[in-house]
Amino acid sequence: MSVPQVELKNMTKRFGANLALNNVSLLIRSGTVHALLGENGAGKSTLVKCLVGFYHPDEGHIQVDGREHRLNSPKDADALGIGMVYQHFTLVPSMTVAQNLVVSGARLPAYINWQSELRRLAEVTKKLPFHVPLDVRVSQLSAGEKQKAEIVKQLYLGRKLLILDEPTSVLTPAEADEVLGHVRSLTRAGELSAILISHKFHEVRRFADDVTVLRRGASVRTGAVADLTDDALAEAMIGEPVSKIVQHAPKSPPKSDIILSISDLRVNGDNGLPAVKDLSLEVRAGEIVGIAGVSGNGQLELVEALMGQRDRSGTIAVSGSSFNGTRLEIARLGVYGLPQEPLKNACIDRMSLAENLALRNFDRVPLCRGIAMNYGALAEQAERLVAQFRVKAPSLTASMSTLSGGNVQRAVLARELTQDVRLLVASNPTFGLDFVACEETYRRIVEARNGGAAVLLISEDLDELLGLVDRVLVMSAGRIVHEVSAEGADKRVIGKYMAGMKAA
Amino acid sequence: MSSISGIEPVPSKPLVTAAQLSVALPVLAVLLASAVFAAFVALSGQNPATVFGLIVQGGFGSSFAWQDTLSRAAPLVLVGLAVAIPAQAGLVIIGGEGALVLGGLAGAVVTLPFAGVHALPMQLLMLLAGALIGGLWFGLAGVLRQYRGVNETISSLLLSYIGIAVFHHLTEGMLRDPASLDKPSTHPIDPSHMLPTLPGVGVHAGLAVSLLLAIAAHVVLRYTRWGFALRVVGGSARVARMIGLAVNRWILGASVVAGGMAGIAGAIEVAAVQGTANSSLIVGYGYSGILVAFLARHQPLAIVAVALLIGGMQASASLLQRRLGLPDATMLVFQGLIFVCVLVADAIAQQLRETTRR
Amino acid sequence: MDPTSIGWLALPLAILGGAIRVSTPFIFVSIGELITEKSGRINLGLEGTLMLGAMAGYAISYLSGSPWLGVLSAGLAGMAFGFLHGLLCSVKRVNDTAIGISLIVLGTGLAFFLGKPLIEPKAPPLPSIALGFWSSVPQVRAALDVNALFFVGIALAFAVYVFLNRTGWGLMLRTVGDSEDAARALGFPVLRVRIIATMAGGFLAGIGGSFLSLSYPGSWSEGLSSGQGIMAVALVIFARWRSVNALGASLLFGGAGALGPALQGIGVTGYYYLFNAAPYILTLAIMVASTSRAAPFADAPGELKLHR
Repeated sequence: MSVPQVELKNMTKRFGANLALNNVSLLIRSGTVHALLGENGAGKSTLVKCLVGFYHPDEGHIQVDGREHRLNSPKDADALGIGMVYQHFTLVPSMTVAQNLVVSGARLPAYINWQSELRRLAEVTKKLPFHVPLDVRVSQLSAGEKQKAEIVKQLYLGRKLLILDEPTSVLTPAEADEVLGHVRSLTRAGELSAILISHKFHEVRRFADDVTVLRRGASVRTGAVADLTDDALAEAMIGEPVSKIVQHAPKSPPKSDIILSISDLRVNGDNGLPAVKDLSLEVRAGEIVGIAGVSGNGQLELVEALMGQRDRSGTIAVSGSSFNGTRLEIARLGVYGLPQEPLKNACIDRMSLAENLALRNFDRVPLCRGIAMNYGALAEQAERLVAQFRVKAPSLTASMSTLSGGNVQRAVLARELTQDVRLLVASNPTFGLDFVACEETYRRIVEARNGGAAVLLISEDLDELLGLVDRVLVMSAGRIVHEVSAEGADKRVIGKYMAGMKAA
Repeated sequence: MSSISGIEPVPSKPLVTAAQLSVALPVLAVLLASAVFAAFVALSGQNPATVFGLIVQGGFGSSFAWQDTLSRAAPLVLVGLAVAIPAQAGLVIIGGEGALVLGGLAGAVVTLPFAGVHALPMQLLMLLAGALIGGLWFGLAGVLRQYRGVNETISSLLLSYIGIAVFHHLTEGMLRDPASLDKPSTHPIDPSHMLPTLPGVGVHAGLAVSLLLAIAAHVVLRYTRWGFALRVVGGSARVARMIGLAVNRWILGASVVAGGMAGIAGAIEVAAVQGTANSSLIVGYGYSGILVAFLARHQPLAIVAVALLIGGMQASASLLQRRLGLPDATMLVFQGLIFVCVLVADAIAQQLRETTRR
Repeated sequence: MDPTSIGWLALPLAILGGAIRVSTPFIFVSIGELITEKSGRINLGLEGTLMLGAMAGYAISYLSGSPWLGVLSAGLAGMAFGFLHGLLCSVKRVNDTAIGISLIVLGTGLAFFLGKPLIEPKAPPLPSIALGFWSSVPQVRAALDVNALFFVGIALAFAVYVFLNRTGWGLMLRTVGDSEDAARALGFPVLRVRIIATMAGGFLAGIGGSFLSLSYPGSWSEGLSSGQGIMAVALVIFARWRSVNALGASLLFGGAGALGPALQGIGVTGYYYLFNAAPYILTLAIMVASTSRAAPFADAPGELKLHR
């Protein structure tokens, strides 16, 4: 089977009143990598989900080698040789790579003789550019290996058009280069076409031939990558001439007093194994300390231990007093947080917006006297915060789950940053947010810092991190392996430490 | 624009509001369950109209029927609360039967040394003893969940069976009144310690106790910071920890209070109806409480209403048995049908609420 | 022969025989629940299914004269209930724990209602195989008088192991239970697989129930099942979702269940009720020992919402 030319024509898709795709056309030339650029919610995933048969477009159609096809399910896409590698992997964690390969085959075998099956799989995968162990459970693979296993699965299944959804978000820069480099060489060799969904310009520039920019469900720019400048792409994505994303307020030299001091912190992960190992760090008043690292190297556990959500050993002190995350300590020491996925990690989705805005002070005057709640005062506070932070919501009594992602984030910013913040712990705070909400989050974090707060910012997005912080720590395998001031930071060096390639 | 800046009006007005839905759907669900039940009794050769008539008559048709219904509703309210209070904190505890019988046993024996003492303190002591033991029993399920990760639904049910075994062991052994021959029982409590009958209603004072506790639960859950905190814990333990709530303590507290409710129900049955602890306590109130709480969506005041309805249905069972020869289980079938239909209706209501927003 | 003539050996023999008898329904119910849970759903309603199966099996055996036809009908009744559970849980936003509890009420109610006329009559019981024919000691003969369903149960445990590890459908079931995203990406019919898995679970639980009424204790009464359906859920957790482990765990539970009657048999009656509670206590102890706060359900199917 040669590599087909795939064309999407005039695709339109509505979800209720919401126009997710508006007359989008896309041509993937045979043997090329076509990048899809756009912000969250621009319609990238809706578009490709139509291409793999998850969604059916309301208008428009899909042509493969000039012939129109109707894709009703992933099986139909499968038959055309179209496959997708999802951002959240779709390998079954409890099964081995071999079992995953067998279960994804077009025809499920009735009985499996594993001996001969493993021999056959080894034959087939030997010809592929990546090596992955066949008899290891997927849950034991690293993120990079999982990504490779996903691609091996697609190639094993004979896919000719590969859709990669933000493939590098879980990889170190070196792993990303390796994986995308292989995809690139396969397309060059004429064995594959690929769609690369991304929001990183340098990736698009290095690995893609053509690019299409989506904004609010419409295709706003398309062409060969070589013909478009980064500024042109950014402008197309955001819809206005770009200003510098974050204006760093002039850095006041950090005050000398140490706000957060962690020493010999040890935390176990969900699997009961140590995830944070003897970690020590300090954050001073008026500085933003960033923790860089590939997802899953103990950052989550560190944050949860800091916020009192996880058992730990070792000491955490805030402004010199030991901190265990009780309500009294939080209020006295001023410890607040911006977790990732705020709807899930910072809000109670079935409680109302007003109640969610009161989570920090519901048990204090004026919201509460003695044990009696004052819901009038609670509504007043909500009204004030909603106006101040421009939160858009159906009503104050609407449950939190009715708000859009950006507005949930604004509500959380309103709740956390209107307290007397002396330590702010932000963990991937812009994950999944649109551009405007991201920018606002950055601005508020910098404001908090300029107001004298100590900020610990954990982010898997190195670009975001380097744009914001005063000092960078790199976390790998549960330890801090590298420290550098923002001025002296070199992305390649940091990347190597992230990959665990250099010991501390 | 509405008066609040930033609050946008809802884009399109839905046909029915969420409030209307949350009333209409359960009613529809009960109607559907009744229709299926009607078909069921028709299949078994009875006239559905006669059956429904007898249910109404047996539960609510006379002052005698009302007395029966109300005296059943008293424990049902409490065991309903025993499910609903932990549910606020996100727990599904279904072992009310065990806490009830052990609470009853505690109530039955605690005043035995004090025959002849003034009644009121003894009555309070009985309720307190019941609450204590019941609270302890549910507290165990809470401890196992929070500190060992044991699923509380399963552990509470196992604890319930163990509690019943302990009850049998004690009432037929150590605590048995040798005079109780064919039905092993504890020594009867001093008759003057029995809970009085409410004047004008003809039902024991336990009904008043359970109503007061339901109102108290309503006020605490709705209007105090304790209720607020409990809802946060039930909504998301992660977020509760983030804002500094001691989740383990809240969950334990809710379990203990809930077990206390079930224990009081047992103590009331002893202090107001049986006068002694014996196997008559084990009639399945604890399990009915699950039904009551879920139908009332864990709202204390709704629990009172649902307990009346279920109490009436159970009261009518004997009339159905006498008049039509229908077994006791007839009402169990009806309750099961209502339970299933209401759960599904709830889910659909929730779904509709979500889709009308988007 | 005087039963005391074999001395203390009478106790382990009685426990062995009892373990085989008491464990048989556990084997079926727990393996049924295991199949259901492997699909990512939990069916707490098996207690009701068990009663329904016990009643249906007894009724059909009585009416047809064939206990095996009774077993089949019990399975079909259980399967119908499994279908109901599977269907109801496919409604979005429905709480499967609560649905399970409601089906306990409904199943028990239906079983009691329809079983009312069955309390008196005697249905033909399931035959058993006298493996103790070689011995002249009555206790040995009694202990080794094993019901055929027990062997079916053992075979079932191994068959399910092969199914889950060596067949395409088994891998599909595990995919659906472990990662709904993966299953959808592969185009598997997630809801259909779950409904079928719940039906299979119900079928086996129904058969487990028929053993209660047709073999041991061997008559229909409203007190036949006392938590076996719920204990099976705990047992599956203890067995870490492996069918052969579930077989072993069932035997262990059976032994615990046989303890009380066995002790009573040799004249120890003082703690009758407490010994009868041994299976519950054992279940609880095992749950405490086999879970931990840090990683409560490490081997659980990914989609199983056991701990909300």
